[in-house]
Amino acid sequence: MTANQWIKSPKGYVAIAIVAYLLIASIGSQDMMGIINGIVAVGVSVVVDIICSRIEKRKRIMPDGAVITGLIISLILSTTTSWPIVAATAAISILSKHLLVHKKKPIFNPAALGLLLSILFFQTEQSWWGAFGDLPVWTVTFLLIGGYAVTNRVNKYPQVFSFLGTFFILLFFMGHFNVGDASDALRPPFINAALFFGFFMLTDPPTSPAKVKGQIFFGILAAVAGAVVYGLFGGLMYLFIGLLIGNLFHLLKTRSSSQRKVAERLEL
Amino acid sequence: MAKMNKKWVILCSTAVAAVYAAGYFTTETQASIQQQPQHTQINIQSNGGQSNDTSINKSPTSSLYQDGTYTGMGRNRRGSIQVAVTIKNDKITDVEISDFAMHYSESDVVGMPEEVIQNQSAKVMNVSGATYSTQAFEDAVLDALSQAQNA
Repeated sequence: MTANQWIKSPKGYVAIAIVAYLLIASIGSQDMMGIINGIVAVGVSVVVDIICSRIEKRKRIMPDGAVITGLIISLILSTTTSWPIVAATAAISILSKHLLVHKKKPIFNPAALGLLLSILFFQTEQSWWGAFGDLPVWTVTFLLIGGYAVTNRVNKYPQVFSFLGTFFILLFFMGHFNVGDASDALRPPFINAALFFGFFMLTDPPTSPAKVKGQIFFGILAAVAGAVVYGLFGGLMYLFIGLLIGNLFHLLKTRSSSQRKVAERLEL
Repeated sequence: MAKMNKKWVILCSTAVAAVYAAGYFTTETQASIQQQPQHTQINIQSNGGQSNDTSINKSPTSSLYQDGTYTGMGRNRRGSIQVAVTIKNDKITDVEISDFAMHYSESDVVGMPEEVIQNQSAKVMNVSGATYSTQAFEDAVLDALSQAQNA
């Protein structure tokens, strides 16, 4: 694959968008620590990915997915997070990608699982600074431009719309009936987090369905699970938990359809 | 799978934006209540225990703070912290986190009240790396101290 071909690939789109976000958010917040964290997270992700791929004796070693995972981690962890914690979060994410697999594909979104475990193990502060959570509201435009470009490229509009639509409907009712803290979830930095998550994490092709029906159900499930967790506990884990539940649904659906195909072949 | 038609993309985007706007305006009152500073002063004790009238305790020479327990609020985009600071003879004798509404773990700030009492200052070390919670905590203590100063 040439560099030109890679840039036009889904991973190329995502990588360009999130590198741009890293730079814009760093310049906007006048804080270069995010870039240092980005270098650490990407470096560790790539090294762990290459080591795991060699152990698995994979023929093609292309750590572009690990680069994206590392970048996403650095955009979400607070810029004040110490580098060993950033490195550990990146390592956990990539290890989950290689250890928790079904038919050589990761079951869970690596960045989401790594970041969730990072909160549980290290109590990391996740600020979503790279989604412009601390910058003026108009910077959300950057998220929308990059998000639509990526969603269009990976063909995941049904999933993104069903997720955001369901999530906002549930927050509307939560706000109307004064359940949980819906006002926070609809305002920066949490709305930035939801948009970044919906466009760049939920749409990860290996861990989410491709067909329209599957995408819609996946989006609704992730939104309902996330909103319920947010309504009950608040905090910042709700989006990740929603996605991981969606990933599990995708795994179960893939397994049942492959079992059905085997049964059909045996009957023939 | 075929690409989604542009008209459908625009239609769905508009629908999602409309639902978001409905939620945003529904929670507008809730958000504006949260933004308002909640300054309260409780259990005001007079200097020397002679009188409950705080005005007569302001001597021009002596104290920086009025004795009593003051609640202060610190808020940022990640939530809020409310503290109750007790002052006696110009010293911070007790600090309690009366309300923790940050989107992070409360364990991040659990040792901070003790630190304020030891250092006799709102400035605390951010050992946990919890920048936003530390900021909100410091602001809350400063808010309480400024009330004690102005009382």
